[in-house]
Amino acid sequence: MDRTRGPVDPVRAAAARYAGARVARVEDPRLLTGHGTFVDDVVRPGMLHACFVRSPLARARITGIDVSEALAVEGVHAVFTAEDLNPGVHEPWYSLAGRDVPDSPRPPLAEDEVRFVGDPVALVVAADRYLAEDAAELVVVDYEPLPPVVDYVTARESAELVFPQFARNVLGELGGRPTTELAPVFDQAPWSVRETVYQQAYAPVPIETRGLVAEWSAAGGELTIWAATQSPHEVRLFCSRLLGLPEHRIRVVMRDTGGGFGQKAVVQREDMCVMLAALKVPAALKWIEDRRENLLAAGQSRHEHGDVRMAFDADGRILAASIDYVQDVGAYPVPWPVGPSMAVGMFFPGPYRVPEGTFSITSVFSNTVGRTAYRGPWQFESVARELMLDVAARRMGMDPVELRRRNLLRRDELPYTNPVGVPYGDISPLETFEQALGMLDYEAFRKEQERARGEGRFLGVGTCTYVEPTTAGMGVHGTEGATIRIEPSGKVNVYVSGGSTGNSLETTVVQLTADALGVDIADVHTIQGDTAITPFGGGTGGSRSGSMTAGAVAETAAVLRERIAAIAAHRLEAAAEDIELVDGHARVRGVPGAGLSLAEIAAIAYLQPESLPPGMPAGLEASGRYRAESMIILANATHLCTCEVDVTTGRVTLLRYIVSEDCGPMINPSVVEGQIAGGTVQGIGGALYEHLAYDADGNPVTGTFMDYLLPTAAEVPIIEYGHVETPGPGPGGYKGVGEGGAIGAPPAVINAVADALAPFGVHITRLPLTPESIVTLVRRARESRAAEPGTVPR
Amino acid sequence: MKPSAFDYHAPTSVAEAVSLLADLGEDAKPIAGGQSLVPMLALRLTALEHLVDLRRVSGLRGIEQRDGAVRIGAMTTQAVIGRSAEVARGVPLLARATPLIGHFQIRNRGTIGGSLAHADAAAEYPAVALALGAQLEAQSPRGRRTIPADRFFTGLWGTDLADDELLTAVAFPRWDGRCGFAIEEFARRSGDFAIAGAAVAVALDDGARIRRCGIGLFGLGPTPLRASAAEAALTRAGLADVTAEDVGRTALADLESVPSDLHGSADYRRHVGAVVVARAWQRAVQEASDA
Amino acid sequence: MPDVDIQVRVNGTLRRDTVPPRLTLADYLRERCQLTGTHLGCEHGVCGACTVLLDGQAVRACLVFAVQADGAQVTTIEGIASPDGELSPVQAAFRDHHGLQCGFCTPGFVISVTAFLRDHPDPTDEQIREGLSGNLCRCTGYQGILKAVRAAADGTSAMEETG
Repeated sequence: MDRTRGPVDPVRAAAARYAGARVARVEDPRLLTGHGTFVDDVVRPGMLHACFVRSPLARARITGIDVSEALAVEGVHAVFTAEDLNPGVHEPWYSLAGRDVPDSPRPPLAEDEVRFVGDPVALVVAADRYLAEDAAELVVVDYEPLPPVVDYVTARESAELVFPQFARNVLGELGGRPTTELAPVFDQAPWSVRETVYQQAYAPVPIETRGLVAEWSAAGGELTIWAATQSPHEVRLFCSRLLGLPEHRIRVVMRDTGGGFGQKAVVQREDMCVMLAALKVPAALKWIEDRRENLLAAGQSRHEHGDVRMAFDADGRILAASIDYVQDVGAYPVPWPVGPSMAVGMFFPGPYRVPEGTFSITSVFSNTVGRTAYRGPWQFESVARELMLDVAARRMGMDPVELRRRNLLRRDELPYTNPVGVPYGDISPLETFEQALGMLDYEAFRKEQERARGEGRFLGVGTCTYVEPTTAGMGVHGTEGATIRIEPSGKVNVYVSGGSTGNSLETTVVQLTADALGVDIADVHTIQGDTAITPFGGGTGGSRSGSMTAGAVAETAAVLRERIAAIAAHRLEAAAEDIELVDGHARVRGVPGAGLSLAEIAAIAYLQPESLPPGMPAGLEASGRYRAESMIILANATHLCTCEVDVTTGRVTLLRYIVSEDCGPMINPSVVEGQIAGGTVQGIGGALYEHLAYDADGNPVTGTFMDYLLPTAAEVPIIEYGHVETPGPGPGGYKGVGEGGAIGAPPAVINAVADALAPFGVHITRLPLTPESIVTLVRRARESRAAEPGTVPR
Repeated sequence: MKPSAFDYHAPTSVAEAVSLLADLGEDAKPIAGGQSLVPMLALRLTALEHLVDLRRVSGLRGIEQRDGAVRIGAMTTQAVIGRSAEVARGVPLLARATPLIGHFQIRNRGTIGGSLAHADAAAEYPAVALALGAQLEAQSPRGRRTIPADRFFTGLWGTDLADDELLTAVAFPRWDGRCGFAIEEFARRSGDFAIAGAAVAVALDDGARIRRCGIGLFGLGPTPLRASAAEAALTRAGLADVTAEDVGRTALADLESVPSDLHGSADYRRHVGAVVVARAWQRAVQEASDA
Repeated sequence: MPDVDIQVRVNGTLRRDTVPPRLTLADYLRERCQLTGTHLGCEHGVCGACTVLLDGQAVRACLVFAVQADGAQVTTIEGIASPDGELSPVQAAFRDHHGLQCGFCTPGFVISVTAFLRDHPDPTDEQIREGLSGNLCRCTGYQGILKAVRAAADGTSAMEETG
């Protein structure tokens, strides 16, 4: 079976009119006019407001909590501490990780000990947020400070433990074959490079913070939750386990969510607190995280390093690659970070011909905010590999582009299994690489760079080519459902699980459904995000929504097409095989004029059941559930960036930014490019601006948007897109594209800076690249090479 | 992130405002545009019993020529200053500093009086006032007085104003003759407070000598700073005898307590400070020479 | 801490309210006026999601107290499109150029750009970037927004030239 075509389907809709087109988004009119519904827009009768009391210390024993003064504030309804809420916890495990993983503790409120600055200690409930904050200031918590484990790098040697049950502060270790087995290759190779690559902590930082409203109806035994989430069904399922409430008595509703990027993938501790507290207060309870809390307690990502080795033959062909990777999981990682980190090791060889390779992965606790998922959580594989390739190329005196050309997999080598066992197919790394270089005119840039250096200006070019796992077809992410209702008037409603946080999932689903039924896009509407009426689904994450909802829509629409054709054939006295669906009509192929509109067919199905063909069920509604056909769908891309570095101040100005991407056929090029652009600018932020930093005592120092620097429109380059289209092994050949930008951008930017600074003999292995760090790198290079006059620019 | 409660007062005259401030004591604070104060209140870094809003106070807005100076009412917004032909002509350094303040939405509310009285060490206007030798007019229940800019900034977030004293206007003396002005700052992003910045004014005599100069520094100390020693050394020097790099080095030479944070250590700020002084100096001198 | 009487004309409609002095204009609009299109992204004046027009000038509604808007006219995102729902030229340009994704920052951008283009009908690309730099977006990488503003500017000036 040709797997690129999806399920076998006797009745075909006319050629796709909408898939592949830059269809205007159906979400936009409400969002552009201020009529979206974000969680903070939800108002319920008598609604109460929550505010957390958080730890000011990185690590301390709680010796007492006095809530009396806070409770005395007029308008304050309750102040909950761990002893009020935590006993209500039943089974708090994430569907993604499963029940049985050796997960780390995750108490809703801190019990005996606080473990990071921002750790929630008490929950104040008041008539409004102003009063709740007033009262929160009056909660008196007595702390006995303990020495914090601030630096995950040294945490394994620390005498202090974040959790007593986790020796050496290690949450988990994974690995391939022992690195020692590869030692002979590294030792004997003509070229062998070894560096420690370190990446600073940064974070998803959606512009809408976290939040939820939970309303308990004791009489009905029903809990309704309005959430800012990427996965409403997971919120419901998790909540049902957490509270021990039957899943069908919980309803989770989300309409518009203001960005997630991983941070809103699963329920976090604060959400648990609100769910637990909702059962104890007389009205709906709203918690809207403020920005300070978001930067303090919503999680960090990317904080990690790797001891990276690469060996090459005399011609620059890779002989082996290994990474010993260590990630900071903070105090309360969400969700379990050990399993997903495997992808760092699995994709470290990247889209290159790497005969031998291995990895080890260690997850280490610290007294800082917990690690959360973030757009391409395994992104360090590309950072480590691509930085090392540039370091190696310079050591070998080879152009980094030439080194990559010699090692990138060619199409005729596929399928290929990488040295740690990951099978590759349907990818095009060399094509995207060459396309990006062509768009730049690489040779011309090198000449311009040479001229500029003559004038004392330092330009650079960097690339990153990666292969990216998307649409994991396992566990809770392995299926996706759709319900399509052709209403009695012939208008179409399509229901999918939802979780769109800017991913344009409504537009995508409307496009796909209109094509699948051969109807006008204006006649299709979609309903998403309400667990009471939409089919179960895994939500947005892992770059899965495009492919999986395409499968769900295709599967479900096929059933309806058959029924439409049968009804039309019966009425038109034609054979069902001769019916085609086009322009909202079922027509007899080759017979102009003969046909029925979908409205006429729907009228038969609902209002004239006596006119239905014998045995045909009444109505025109179907539900289907698509099951992923492969474990993973691989996408690939090349990012290419050029920059100018002011070596005096360390300022980096990005000049051109090119992304050549292979995500298979595009459902909507505007959506694809929007996802690439958004991810890319997050990656640029991570490379040059963003740093969720702590001081030596574990105090966060980037608690506001004055200190945590998101890129603005004034900092970003124009992004140019190239597309290579290799269909993947799934519905429509679609591949995921949501995360890649955030993976490819940091290495491309860093390598561009490294290239600009190459005349100084600078290698970059430590992030972020602040202006100061660049000035320091240049100064040190000048100092260390002062003994070789003439080799370093003044 | 909501402010604590306070009482609100909206006096209509300076006399009424300062008498309120005097009566309410140290738990009261005036608010002008609020673009620095409100975030501090929202973050609960500060809390007040009384907020005295100057928005209705008459006579605090406007730009006029008076006694060889351009006099700007304290409640005049940065946006108005940025659009003012009077300022562009008479105080070009102020005009050039204005677009560097925050973003246009901030400048629509932020006022010159607020900028100066808030005395942020990393802000542009205080450095401009220092470089140009501005005179700050203040009023309290005890009367009016004029404070020279270089006596106004007294310490971290501190000014010479008493708790019951309002800044009412700022007079920027016109620099005439062969003058040049430049402001240069280094910030991580567009609109951020500067890691280091310099505002430079220079006047040349008919030859190639420096008749007078002013160098205001920001982001480089606990207060906005004036590089007085460098100014003294440069005055009456021949242009040919000083390089911009020398000026940068000299201006930074005797700085103490250079701040240090995630975005720039003290060493880095010194380094970039010397660079921005040199760049501003070069541009100012160029303009003066061309005049 | 006595509450204060205020009168504000919001999107053309005069309102009288009694508010606590510490209530921000943003919260006043969201909670008292039920105009929830004004979004709170940081509440300390950096992200720009809460931008509204106060007497025609774009300001951060989180950095203004409702009492300070007494006597003023406020235009929120809900007051930008025509009453019949037709998008303004800026809104239409955002839609045409994929200038929004999650839509949370969008009201602030639309308000800022509306004021910016009124004051700079023929902006350079550099001015557009500068004009946008007071609003943060985490979804679009600003690419669609930059295109939208350019298109809206060109549309505006084209109309002026022919009209």
